Amino acid sequence: MSQIKIPIGPQHPALHEPESFNLILEGETIVDAEVKLGYNHRGIEKACESRNYIQDIYLIERVCGICSHSHSTCFVQAVEEIAGVEVPLRANYIRTIIGELERIHSHLLWLGVAGHEVGFETLFMYSWRDREIIMDILALISGNRVNYAINTIGGVRRDITSEEVAQILANLQTLTERTEFYLKLVNDEPTFMGRLFGVGKLSKDMAISMGAVGPMARGSGVSRDIRQDDPYGVYSQIGFKIVTDDHADVLGRVIVRVNELLESYRMLRVLAENLPEGPIAVKVPRKIPAGEAIARYEAPRGEDIHYVRSNGTEMPERVKVRAPTLANLASIREMLRGGYLADFPIVVAALDPCFSCTDRAIRLVDGKNDHVIDWRQLREYSIGWHKQRGVELSKIGC
Amino acid sequence: MRNTELIDFLQSKLASSVTNISTPREKRVFAETTVDNLVAVATSLKEWGLYYLGTITGLDSGDKFEIIYHFYDDYGLIFNLKVFTPRDNPKVPTVTTVFPGVFLYERELMDLLGIDVEGTPPNRRYPLPDDWPAGQYPLRKDWKGLPSVEEVSK
Amino acid sequence: MLKKLVKWARVKSPWILHFNTGACNACDIEILAALTPRFDLERFGVQLKATPRHADVILCSGPVTKQAKDRLTRIYEQMPEPKFVVAVGTCAISGGVFDGCYNVEGGIDSTIPVAAYIPGCPASPEAIIDGVVKLLERIDQPEHFQEARPVYIGEGESK
Repeated sequence: MSQIKIPIGPQHPALHEPESFNLILEGETIVDAEVKLGYNHRGIEKACESRNYIQDIYLIERVCGICSHSHSTCFVQAVEEIAGVEVPLRANYIRTIIGELERIHSHLLWLGVAGHEVGFETLFMYSWRDREIIMDILALISGNRVNYAINTIGGVRRDITSEEVAQILANLQTLTERTEFYLKLVNDEPTFMGRLFGVGKLSKDMAISMGAVGPMARGSGVSRDIRQDDPYGVYSQIGFKIVTDDHADVLGRVIVRVNELLESYRMLRVLAENLPEGPIAVKVPRKIPAGEAIARYEAPRGEDIHYVRSNGTEMPERVKVRAPTLANLASIREMLRGGYLADFPIVVAALDPCFSCTDRAIRLVDGKNDHVIDWRQLREYSIGWHKQRGVELSKIGC
Repeated sequence: MRNTELIDFLQSKLASSVTNISTPREKRVFAETTVDNLVAVATSLKEWGLYYLGTITGLDSGDKFEIIYHFYDDYGLIFNLKVFTPRDNPKVPTVTTVFPGVFLYERELMDLLGIDVEGTPPNRRYPLPDDWPAGQYPLRKDWKGLPSVEEVSK
Repeated sequence: MLKKLVKWARVKSPWILHFNTGACNACDIEILAALTPRFDLERFGVQLKATPRHADVILCSGPVTKQAKDRLTRIYEQMPEPKFVVAVGTCAISGGVFDGCYNVEGGIDSTIPVAAYIPGCPASPEAIIDGVVKLLERIDQPEHFQEARPVYIGEGESK
């Protein structure tokens, strides 16, 4: 059977950042895939070297708009380790509260995107409506829906008042009920499961050898989570239960993310009820002594590594950011191989790609037919292809 | 503690290749090795239990390039292995034979610092654009920007 | 007469295309959030289209990286006239916090002409709605039509 080359180019609708894949198809089955990245490479690591540490917090936060707090907290943890300061307990609690709120908003966002990719538009609208509850809480605490600027070296910049804590607790009940509905949907609804089961398979050994992180690895049964392995903040004090699933495909990843939402609600309740009194920051001198440190953080997409080396001046010598999506990208060829073209959008979406984290700084080649399609056409093609086989999601009533 | 187990292993089995071991805090160990011993040390570390390679950091330290490999395991221990290579001929062997998923980190070293990684699997360049001029390595300390058109045409 | 009908249709129901030229995604999520039930841009007749050939307005976010520059120009040329470009977010206006970085060209107007600028980091959905509505009001008033800088090939039809 002859092979077709399909480049899936950087412009496509609905969220996604620019990236380009080149897929090799034989008939309907994907034989190989090549990923071309770098559209989001902005030269942040070099820019960090010409700004001082406080300006770098602002810059590092904008590596990614969805996991901005993760990047800034990881960076600040590395700098505090070099400077040898101990952050006060209340500041750690506040950072963890914002971190869990960010995880909730990111997973709800992802749930909507996954629904959109398989044609389940209602889920998209429902989960983003629930996400607005969290955005309101974040805007109340920090003043902005994204890019909260709550971290500084030595602690946090803003305090949480008791009214804000009461607001968090009041909303958790609504969110828990709605998320339990999504959990029922994932576990019981046959049409939705039909799109996700058996798609994008990544076995446990392959996940370990390719270095997968985050929900990608946990959905294949690999029990890795920085909050458990190398706890930072207050996770060692409030008790944390890791969520894994053995399906080793896209369905496993969805189950892991929805269960993580429920676990985050439980942790938020514990954090909000037990917020200790005390100062919110310690004073740290502007010049950080020479040294190096490496910090890790469990971002919503996986494990984020920051390595900082200082040289005794106000500006860092080297900042290295390794975002979670870069670690997961090595597995994408394995996941796509042997799958159908129609499943391509959901497999890539299950990876929860955040290419702006990846690049800060896929070609289907072969055959006589050169056919250019864009993401929307691919999505509609994939929805139509499955409809012909009896999987129709628009008929699900909610 | 895991730290001490790792340090014992390094001092007993790999004493000739791994030097300058230090432990600034619990769960962090730093050490150095040479370019020639890199792949052998990486293989022994993987067998010992450090079976993830998190990332590879390249730094410009003046007259040499410093490349740091960050290994870790399931218990939160991070082992940072430093390798030095001279600035006028930077070369380092690939570790993708031991850790298959790290080809993108090696591509970053090649693109941004100009370090030649021997044996890395063939792939497109990452992260710089395809029409980036050759010989321009942004992360080097002496790189101040792309040459402007007038300078190039002189 | 037909022209007035077409202009009325364009103003009352613009179809938009969204393109990210290398941003951190915050502005893109806010654009998508503007389509969700809380802010609901679709009640104004706005539809998010996937292909440049169907779109009237392109919402661009992000500082233009060198890789994205050619793609942006190609997409812009694929849109039918008259077309309007809206730059969403501080990065799209001037490069934002990434101005001067080695892989970044600058704002969107370093590559294509822009009709409306929406500031913010990220631009909140209310600001995006406000910006798009202001652009539509400008198109609607014939004496200010040229200010919206739509692009025509050949003879201009400004009335």
